[in-house]
Amino acid sequence: MSWGDLVAIGGGLLAGFLSGTIGIGGGLVFVPFMTIGFRIAQPLAQGTSLAAVIPTAVVGGVTHLRRGNVRRDAAIWMGAGGVVGAAIGALIAVEVPSSILARIFGAFLLFSAYRIAFPGRPAATEPKVPA
Amino acid sequence: MGGLLGGLLGVGGGFVMVPLQVLWARMPQKQANATSLVAIIPIALVAVPIYYFRKGTPQVDFHLALFLVIGSVIGAYFGARLLNRIPERELKYGVAGLLFLAGLKELVFP
Repeated sequence: MSWGDLVAIGGGLLAGFLSGTIGIGGGLVFVPFMTIGFRIAQPLAQGTSLAAVIPTAVVGGVTHLRRGNVRRDAAIWMGAGGVVGAAIGALIAVEVPSSILARIFGAFLLFSAYRIAFPGRPAATEPKVPA
Repeated sequence: MGGLLGGLLGVGGGFVMVPLQVLWARMPQKQANATSLVAIIPIALVAVPIYYFRKGTPQVDFHLALFLVIGSVIGAYFGARLLNRIPERELKYGVAGLLFLAGLKELVFP
């Protein structure tokens, strides 16, 4: 076991904790942790993050299931729809140049930061129209 | 939509799914978080083989993933247990600040 492995455990600990508390699935922490911390190329970081997210989500998800926090119908519905999108997204991600993918991811991080800090701020008076 | 972002960006897609549930399905935040966590499982299961097999060199490092997992499983367990006792607002602002800095870095120096 190397120092890198220990640092990875530390990053995982943080990601897992946040996934269990604010439900961000870990990937949002894993990817910048790998690209900025480990200087790993964007697509490799994303693929690795997705692999690491599976057991994290299983553990967090099962804990929540046991506590009755999960709406099963919604989980099935979103999971099924998400599978199609995931396949398309992954096919795009492996073809796009790494630097462009990193920029897209950066924009997504900014958006995520905004969403976390100001959740559900807009559309208080506007009619809610599904996009 | 959550899945598309999940596959494209290597994140679970919770960032689309959680607000979607809270805003449109009027689900409580905690329930939305827990539900998206479960929905992420099939999304990641579909995306990983594509990252691994689609290119000549696999875009998945299982060694690194393993150590991330070891840490995150422990972290997720404590996170879920402490969910009801955590200063959620402060935690969110802290995380938002860090993600903002990381996003800025990726945009300017990808």
